[in-house]
Amino acid sequence: MRRWGRRLRQMAGGVLDLPQDVVLEVPRITMIGHLQMYIENHRGVLQFSENELRLLLTNGQLLVFGEQLVIRAILPEEVLLEGRIGGVKFLENP
Amino acid sequence: MRNGLQEWVKGYVTVTVRGKRFERFLNMAVRAGMRIWNIRRVGTEVCRCDIVIAEFPRLRPLLKETGCRVHVVERHGFPFWLVRLRRRAGLAVGAVLFLFGLYMLSSFVWSVEVTGTRNMSPQEVIAAAEQIGIKEGAWKPKLKEPLVLRKELQKLLPEAEWVGVTIQGTRVILQVVEKDKPAKPPVTGPRNLVAKKRAVIHTILPEAGQSRVAVNQLVEKGQVLISGIIGNEQRQQIVSAKGSVKGEVWYVSNVSVPLANTHFRLTGEKQYQHHLLIGPYAVQIWPLNRQEFAQYESEEKRYVPEYAGYKSPIGWKRVIQSEVVPTKRELTMEEATEQAKRFARADVLRLAGKDAVIREEKVLHATTENGKVYVSIHFSVIEEIAVEEPILGDSQPPANGGGGNS
Repeated sequence: MRRWGRRLRQMAGGVLDLPQDVVLEVPRITMIGHLQMYIENHRGVLQFSENELRLLLTNGQLLVFGEQLVIRAILPEEVLLEGRIGGVKFLENP
Repeated sequence: MRNGLQEWVKGYVTVTVRGKRFERFLNMAVRAGMRIWNIRRVGTEVCRCDIVIAEFPRLRPLLKETGCRVHVVERHGFPFWLVRLRRRAGLAVGAVLFLFGLYMLSSFVWSVEVTGTRNMSPQEVIAAAEQIGIKEGAWKPKLKEPLVLRKELQKLLPEAEWVGVTIQGTRVILQVVEKDKPAKPPVTGPRNLVAKKRAVIHTILPEAGQSRVAVNQLVEKGQVLISGIIGNEQRQQIVSAKGSVKGEVWYVSNVSVPLANTHFRLTGEKQYQHHLLIGPYAVQIWPLNRQEFAQYESEEKRYVPEYAGYKSPIGWKRVIQSEVVPTKRELTMEEATEQAKRFARADVLRLAGKDAVIREEKVLHATTENGKVYVSIHFSVIEEIAVEEPILGDSQPPANGGGGNS
């Protein structure tokens, strides 16, 4: 049932030309160099430290590691992250 | 997202949150809609963040649930500034007094300016303005409307065609447009108009005074033409005679014109010489030697630098030599006579004064002698013959100048 809904949504998205992150329910990440990162469409903060930020996604987790990470702003579905970003990792749900 | 100004106006605090489950606390706070920013971790179990003070009380239930403690580190924003200001009441009071004083001072008139006066004195205008209330230190709200002031000022200044009153801040500018009166004619004392030459009267145009001569009458030099004493034997009055009397004057002019004359004509060739002036000497510098023309006309231009009235001893002058060549020209008898007539005419007009008209000219005789032409021409010229003569002393009985022939 779930799969049907998803397939339908994807078809509608293709036909109606909707943005992909809405259709596919994945985060949209805007990075400015290695200094700033704006993550939209997440589901919550799992872990936050100076060197690592773990976000919960609809399907899986997003891992950002770096140095001196600061959450400049946070909203229910968006996060603005600043600092020296080393890398980004997507972790699929097992 | 981040409205810095709004946050500052409402006031915000920097807090440290201690506890194990900070992330859960954060998720819950964010989902509840609270504004938190600048989140960073400062220790294993310690995080720091900024939050608006309005949201602060709402933290309590969340803290309880997640087992975290909160501690305020910094306070920012307008509400805290007001608290600080309460301790420095003098500052606030001073600021208010300053603004009040500024407003009060700007509602006085501090300067009155007058523009546009040429013959009238500005003091006059300022004095008139003072009468209606415009002066230094006047209280602006008490002054009437500018239009009313304008009418009052115009009444006080009859020589002004129009006055304008403008109030610009603390300045009052009075514009004056004066009446353009025609110049008054100069006042002359009592006088007669007498003839300056022997002549036959052609036209009389008396403007003031009584005329004593008639048209076609011969008058002698000094004869009264328009008398300043008017009236008859019973009543008399002395005025300044004014008018115009034109008469016919005869001139005989003798002119001689040489038949052959040489005059110098510029060929157009020029030479320049530069001299250095040292004191009273002129030393010829560039060009060193030049051949001079056989006949030339020279013109010099001096340059002496001057400073504050003291002439420098050193200067230089430039001499321009223009070559001339003598040319001989021969005139025929008729040409010479014509030329003679022209000279004579110019001469006569010079003697007669302006407004003179040559009525008749007659060549009396023309002879040629010794290569020259002698011409004698008689002119009859109509010119202005009246000249003023002041009446001295008290009123005298009118001179019987009517028909005075001699």
